[in-house]
Amino acid sequence: MLHRLRFIPGRLVQSIPVAIGVTIIVFFMARLLPGNPALALLGQHATKASVAALSKQLGLDQPLWQQYLIFLGRLFQGNLGTSITYQMPVTQELAQAIPVTLSLLGLALLLSLVISIPLAALAAFRPGGARDLGVRGFTLLGQGMPQFWLGIMLILLLAVGVRAFPVGGYGETAGDHFYYLFLPALTLGITMCPTIIRSLRSSMINVLESEYVGTAKSKGSYGAALFRGHVLRNAAIPTVSVIGVNLGFLVGGSLVIEKVFALPGLGSMMINAIFTRDFPTIQGVTLFVAFFVVVVGILTDVVYTILDPRVDLSSKERA
Amino acid sequence: MKRRIGMVVAVAAAAALVLGGCSTANSSSASSASGKPVEGGNLVIARSQDIISMNATDTFDNNSLRVMEQIMEPLFMVSNNGKTLKPWLATGYTISKNQLVYTINLRKGVKFSNGKTMTASDVKFSIDQDTKSGAAGWGFINAAIKEVSVVNASTVQITVSHPWGPLIADLSLFSNGIIPDNYGGKTEAAFYQAPVGTGPFVWDYWKKGQAVKLTKNPNYWQKGLPYLSSVTWTVVPDANTRKLQVQGNQIDIDDTPDWSTFASLKATPGVNAMTFPSTLMDWIAFNENRAPFNDVHIRTAISDAIDRNAMVKAVLFGNGTPAYSMLSPGTPYYDPNAGGDTYNVAKAKAAMAASSKPNGFTTTLLIQSGDANQASIAQIMQSELKVIGINMKIEQLDPTANKQARLAGNFDMSWNQWSMDIPDPDEWTSWAVNPKGGSNSAFTGYDNPKVIAINAEAAAETNPTKRAALYDQVQTITSQDAFIAYLFYSPYSYVATDQVKGFYVTPLGNYQLANVYKTK
Repeated sequence: MLHRLRFIPGRLVQSIPVAIGVTIIVFFMARLLPGNPALALLGQHATKASVAALSKQLGLDQPLWQQYLIFLGRLFQGNLGTSITYQMPVTQELAQAIPVTLSLLGLALLLSLVISIPLAALAAFRPGGARDLGVRGFTLLGQGMPQFWLGIMLILLLAVGVRAFPVGGYGETAGDHFYYLFLPALTLGITMCPTIIRSLRSSMINVLESEYVGTAKSKGSYGAALFRGHVLRNAAIPTVSVIGVNLGFLVGGSLVIEKVFALPGLGSMMINAIFTRDFPTIQGVTLFVAFFVVVVGILTDVVYTILDPRVDLSSKERA
Repeated sequence: MKRRIGMVVAVAAAAALVLGGCSTANSSSASSASGKPVEGGNLVIARSQDIISMNATDTFDNNSLRVMEQIMEPLFMVSNNGKTLKPWLATGYTISKNQLVYTINLRKGVKFSNGKTMTASDVKFSIDQDTKSGAAGWGFINAAIKEVSVVNASTVQITVSHPWGPLIADLSLFSNGIIPDNYGGKTEAAFYQAPVGTGPFVWDYWKKGQAVKLTKNPNYWQKGLPYLSSVTWTVVPDANTRKLQVQGNQIDIDDTPDWSTFASLKATPGVNAMTFPSTLMDWIAFNENRAPFNDVHIRTAISDAIDRNAMVKAVLFGNGTPAYSMLSPGTPYYDPNAGGDTYNVAKAKAAMAASSKPNGFTTTLLIQSGDANQASIAQIMQSELKVIGINMKIEQLDPTANKQARLAGNFDMSWNQWSMDIPDPDEWTSWAVNPKGGSNSAFTGYDNPKVIAINAEAAAETNPTKRAALYDQVQTITSQDAFIAYLFYSPYSYVATDQVKGFYVTPLGNYQLANVYKTK
């Protein structure tokens, strides 16, 4: 088993050029935006003189290539620089925001699996039946609803109407966090469901028609045992990559949810940083997201390897 | 700048109601503080943005200022109507005959929240630090100050380099708030991580992107205050979410709901939708460095073509008043008869006929992207200018890029907004009419030597009656020149649950939380 995970270090090395490419693009793209952080910081009193004075104080008057080299140099020491707006290390900012976004994504993924797996199974066992139609209707509806709208509806229903959940915020303790994250995660989870259900449903239908399921049935395996042992595991393989790709997108999607639910995550941090031209923060968040996508890619392959013994990404000869 | 009446809360509320009632606000103006104040409780205020920094000398962000004003206090405090000043950490001052030396007596027995007594050397240090922030901070406010010197423990002397009317108003600015000498032995950066002042509340914590919290200063120099045990400002970017939170009692105050939210909350039981007269004015800058805006007829024509009442109705849902002066009603020396252009299509057409472009022209209005208010202002102007033969296009840029374009003079016309930080018109007039004031006359390039001279004279004058006459002239001439088109004055909007009592916002936007309490 373990020897099949030997591809991981190689993958990590491969991601280094990706990361350097990302730094170049992010660094220079952010600076293509008109206006600089000094303008944003000085508010209505900004004058040409004060913008120039503050830009100098912030080191923004140096040549761009020099600023890039300073940024790269610091990066190799694990230092992402200091937020221009908050005068706080970007790593510290990230350390506060990452747990929020990651737990939101994790909980959303969990909730969407809890909803999707039974629904997909329900739909796949009798394709074209009434249940299948119902589930397919739900996926259509899910895809059609904008995230922010669904979020507001859930708040109205479960937080203002029933008052079972808070209206936005993040709370103080770990228990609080879970409680405050539930509604936003549910919103995000529901919007993830359609893709997962569709992929799972169609692969389940294929698996159910396959010969080995027929064999399993003939050996007397039915119901839950058949589903767990033979159907789900095999049907899950294509869905894993669908989820992997979607998680990358979701970091971006969580931005809307974070705004509606007032969560202090990466999305809100990124939006503020862009508006105030806080270059180091923009760079820090983007680098983290790039890193996250790479890691999710690797994790997807790991899960793949575990689910399907035939997959061996570590050896070319055996592949 | 802070505002508080140090006596009984009921007095403050009565004053607030009387003064607040002077203006347009027809909803409940201030949450009245009748009955016996209740001790304790945590007040939660939700805002769209987080704080940035607690360093008053170089922070321009209102969200940060409102928090630091509860911690650090100035020598003089602006009163409820936003026009006069009252002694605060100072007890009074005298001016020398030549108008150059101010001798200021300090209040005795005032302690910082770290237990040390405030003395003249703390005052000197605080004002000097603000002056040193120079162009990158609020230092320009202290530009007239030549020297601050310690006379004895409870007296300081401020020498100005030339007679300077706004000095006491300048000292009331938050950037001149009093902090311990030499940052109490800390570095500047370390000090502002957890600032110390003489104010009613002390620093507790800041969870970035989430909340900042202050707790009660038990040794506050005004005995019996504050009532609340703590205040938390939370970050809730979405206006709809803030609205639902205040309805669901999860927060106490929704800071700056948008006007559509405000309208719907007005009718909701259990919440109190409040407006407070402000110094906010929306205006359109004409770029006089670009033809045809160097032609006063063109500027007048555009200004005459704007139906300000329609804008107040459409943009502010009726919560505001049309503007006819470069000063707002909440600013000292405001002249209600400044003669700004009113909506008059016939007059606008006549001005166009007399102008350099009698057959009309095509131009652009620059606004900020993502702002619904500005978008509707632009659309209204677009259709109104069409009537007088001007084809106006709308250009949208995000706030920072927009500011860059205005500073660089890269626009024909642009939307702008101003509000005052000190109770003295000079902060705005010198910025707006003097091409050397840093903004090239409010981005317009307007250069009328007569106005510049009168404005300078007004700033050097210390007699209020004479100043009033001079500022009347400034307002009249600028209106005749139509150097900008005044649109409207809008109030500050807040929505609170009906448990919140004693909350009041001055025309400068400050609020004092020492007098606020929550009923059970």
